Amino acid sequence: MKVVIVGAGISGLFIAYELAKRGVKDIVILEKDYVGAGSTGRCATGIRASFTSREHIVLMKRSIELWSIHSKSELGELGLNFIQSGYLWVARREETLENFKKFIALQNSLGVPTKIVDVDEIKSIVPTINTDVIVGGMYDPTAGKSYVFTTLRALVRACRKYGVDIRCGVEVLRLHAENTKIRYVETSTGIIEGDIFVVAAGANTRDLLRPLGIELPIKNMPRHVLITEAYSRAIDPLVIDWDSHGVPYIVQTTEGNFIIGREIEEIPEISLYSQRIDFIPKALKPISELFPFVENVRVLRSWIGYYITTPDNHPVYGPLKPFENLFIATGFSGHGYMMGPVTGEIIADWILEGRPRIPEAQNLVFERFKTGKLIKELAVVG
Amino acid sequence: MGREKELKKSHPIIICRCNDVTLEDVERAIEEGFTDIESLRKVLRIGMGPCQGRTCIPILMRILSRKLGKRIDEINIPRSRAPLIPIQASLFLKSIDVKGEER
Repeated sequence: MKVVIVGAGISGLFIAYELAKRGVKDIVILEKDYVGAGSTGRCATGIRASFTSREHIVLMKRSIELWSIHSKSELGELGLNFIQSGYLWVARREETLENFKKFIALQNSLGVPTKIVDVDEIKSIVPTINTDVIVGGMYDPTAGKSYVFTTLRALVRACRKYGVDIRCGVEVLRLHAENTKIRYVETSTGIIEGDIFVVAAGANTRDLLRPLGIELPIKNMPRHVLITEAYSRAIDPLVIDWDSHGVPYIVQTTEGNFIIGREIEEIPEISLYSQRIDFIPKALKPISELFPFVENVRVLRSWIGYYITTPDNHPVYGPLKPFENLFIATGFSGHGYMMGPVTGEIIADWILEGRPRIPEAQNLVFERFKTGKLIKELAVVG
Repeated sequence: MGREKELKKSHPIIICRCNDVTLEDVERAIEEGFTDIESLRKVLRIGMGPCQGRTCIPILMRILSRKLGKRIDEINIPRSRAPLIPIQASLFLKSIDVKGEER
């Protein structure tokens, strides 16, 4: 069996890794740019199960288990690390705490131990925070972070060890179908045949599938991020300023740099290389109210990544009917990196066993956009 | 060549001073298959520190050119990102862009 995967981001690599570990010998990944060049390499590295839909929670609980398992086994030895340092959502208004309580009720019922924390508890979780501007918060101790490029390098090393052929600089131009079967892909360097095809091409997936008559309801929403120079260890959890405009967040990398992001009004699908210098002060302002020392840190770079967004903010997973050998994993709406391990596991299940081990994943197939069975998610950040 | 190896062992050759990336790190990453400047930059953090690659990126380009047998002008120059030089956050906070956003 030959599997052709389009896209060497976190999803494509974890799918290849899972398939290879379960004995699939012939796997090729086609990447038009370089490993992690799309949304993966642009992400803020946070990992959490504290969502507001059953689907997201159940899948992310498993993903966190897998992040932890991977960090202690083969991938960990090759460099993948997962730091379970939590997520802290701070509230500036009392009524926000009531909303948090609703999230917590659902999350607790599905086994995610989020809880309300008062200002003193917040101070003990993040001693450097300025508590004058906040009234309390919600804490998720099971959440964490994983530095994206060490993870990618570990996956590349492991995939190569298992004989996965990762070809960078090879662009897939179109998929060719005969009746209900994909036969081959036409690439910038020639034709590649296969038995199973997986499209995990992030922001490019929609355009790649259109010639097959599949119209994915996906919008590529530009989200801005900045990184500062390295600073001494000051903030362990990822901190979200829930009540400020654009829901700003800050996370400190293992190297010490701060990654800061927030949503600003932006034109959907705008080029990744457009410039919005006003993003930088708009993100720094609320964050420096929470962490005044950030004022003294220098900003190194800012960039854009796409949230590849579906109408219900949940991914599109699994088989793509009517084609019998075509699978996709995209539309993560900002959560593709954290979902990487579970994406690999369930897409490999679908390919090898015919169904995913997590039944909720079946609710996320493409057909939901036709039947109108959408899922609601409120906790989208940044 | 033998002498160069000896030297590398006793005195690692630093290519990127901001992030302590050595010649050996670069060569190992190239051998692992990271043969373009964007992925080397990200995997090694070379050129990602406060100087934004002002001295190390040209050196990295020369190493790549030699290793891949390409001309230097065939090696891509990495993208530059705003604000180009590190700027203290407090300066940004004086911008008019932060005014007028109601909570």
